[in-house]
Amino acid sequence: MIAVVALLAGVGLGLWLDPTVPAALQPYLPIAVVAALDAVFGGVRAKLDRIFDDKQFVVSFISNVLVAALIVYLGDQLGVGGQLSTGVVVVLGVRIFGNVAAIRRHLFRA
Amino acid sequence: MSDDPGAGRRGARVFTPDFLTELFRNPLDPGYADAAAQRAKTGRPARPGWSVGPVSLVVVVLLGFLGAVAYRQTTAEEPGRAQARSGLVAQIQQRQSDTDAMSARADELREEVNRQREAALGGSQAAQLRNLEAGTGLGKVRGDGVVVRLVDGPSGQDSLNAGNVGPSQVIYSDLQGVANDLWGAGAEAIAINGERLTATSTIRFAGQAILVGIRPVTGPYEVSAIGPGSMRKRYEASRSALTMRKVAQDTGLSFAVRDADNLTLPAAPEPRLRYAEPAVSPSVSPSGRDGSSGSGTSPSPSGGGR
Repeated sequence: MIAVVALLAGVGLGLWLDPTVPAALQPYLPIAVVAALDAVFGGVRAKLDRIFDDKQFVVSFISNVLVAALIVYLGDQLGVGGQLSTGVVVVLGVRIFGNVAAIRRHLFRA
Repeated sequence: MSDDPGAGRRGARVFTPDFLTELFRNPLDPGYADAAAQRAKTGRPARPGWSVGPVSLVVVVLLGFLGAVAYRQTTAEEPGRAQARSGLVAQIQQRQSDTDAMSARADELREEVNRQREAALGGSQAAQLRNLEAGTGLGKVRGDGVVVRLVDGPSGQDSLNAGNVGPSQVIYSDLQGVANDLWGAGAEAIAINGERLTATSTIRFAGQAILVGIRPVTGPYEVSAIGPGSMRKRYEASRSALTMRKVAQDTGLSFAVRDADNLTLPAAPEPRLRYAEPAVSPSVSPSGRDGSSGSGTSPSPSGGGR
C-alpha cells in the first residue's frame, strides 16, 4: 500500500515540478519509462512469489533504465536508433506481458 | 557454452534453450530466485506482506516521477506538431491563392495583348487568328454543347464487388475515354472542371488524384464540350458513353449527358513551345556522301518529326 502512495507521490512531484528535459535526453525518456515499467512489474511479481528482494529490485530498475538508454544511444550513433528502440520495446514488452500474466495468475487464480 | 567436455558426468550436460524461448518462458529476473535461495540458506526472513524497504520506495517515487515527466514531455510536444502542420496548410492555401491571382492577372494581360494585336492587325487576319486560337485552346470560347457529368459512387461499395465490375470511383481512363469520344463526336473545344484541353493536354493519375494537365481535379467531374448540334446524338452512341452507362449501372457511379446552352470554356494555359533543333554532330552533312553507306542504314536523328 505504501508503495502505491509513493508512486502517486512521484507522479505528483513530476507534475508539480514539471522539469524541463534537456533536448539531448528527450529520445531516451519513453524507452526509460518502458524499462522502468518492466522492473516494476518484475518486482510486483516477485513480491507475489514471495521472493522479493530490495537490492535486486533497485539494481534491476537502475540497470534496466540505463541499459535501455545506452542501447538506444548506441543505435542513434550507428544510424539504427529507431530499429533498436523497437527491439528494446519488443523485448521489454514481452517481459512485461509475461510478468503481468504471472501476477494475474496470483491474483485471480486463472 | 556451459558444457565442458572434461566434466565427465553426462547428466550434467545442460542444453540451455535459446534466448527468445527463455524470454517467453521465464520473464522474471533470475536474480530474485537467487536472492531468495540465498536468504533461505542464511535463514534471514523475507519481508512479510506488502512492506518494502526504503530504497525500493525511493525507486518507486522515482518511477512515478519519470512517468509524469515523460507524459508531460509527450503532451508538450503535441501542440508544436499541430502548429507546424497548420502552418504548412496555411502556406499551401496562401500559395494557391497567389497562383490563382497570378493566373487571373495573366488572363487579363492576355486579353490585353489580344486586343492590341487585333487593333494592330485588323480585319480578316485578326479573325483568322481568333479562329486558330479557339481551335487550339488558347482562346476563351463560348457556345452551345453538351456537359457530361461523372460522380464517384459511394466508396464503401467497391470492396464488396470489386472482383467483377471494378471500382465505383471515376478513374482517369474514364475521363480520357469521354474526352476522346467527344472529340470524335465533333467537339470543337473541351474542358474538364474548367481545365481546357488542348492537343497536348494529359489526363492521368497521380496517386489518388486525377491530373488534367498539371492541375488536380476532383469529383464531381464535368466534361463540357462545345460543338455542333448533332454532337450529343453521336456521343451517346459512342463507345465510352455505352461503357460508362454499363459501369454506372453496375457500380453506383453516376453518369449523365445533358445539353447545355451558352457554355463558356476558359483558355488553356500558355503551352511551353518546343522547337525542333538540328542534332549536333552525326548528321552535319547527311547528303554529302551519297550511296556509300546507304540511306536505310544511316542513323536518322529526325525520328521524332512532328
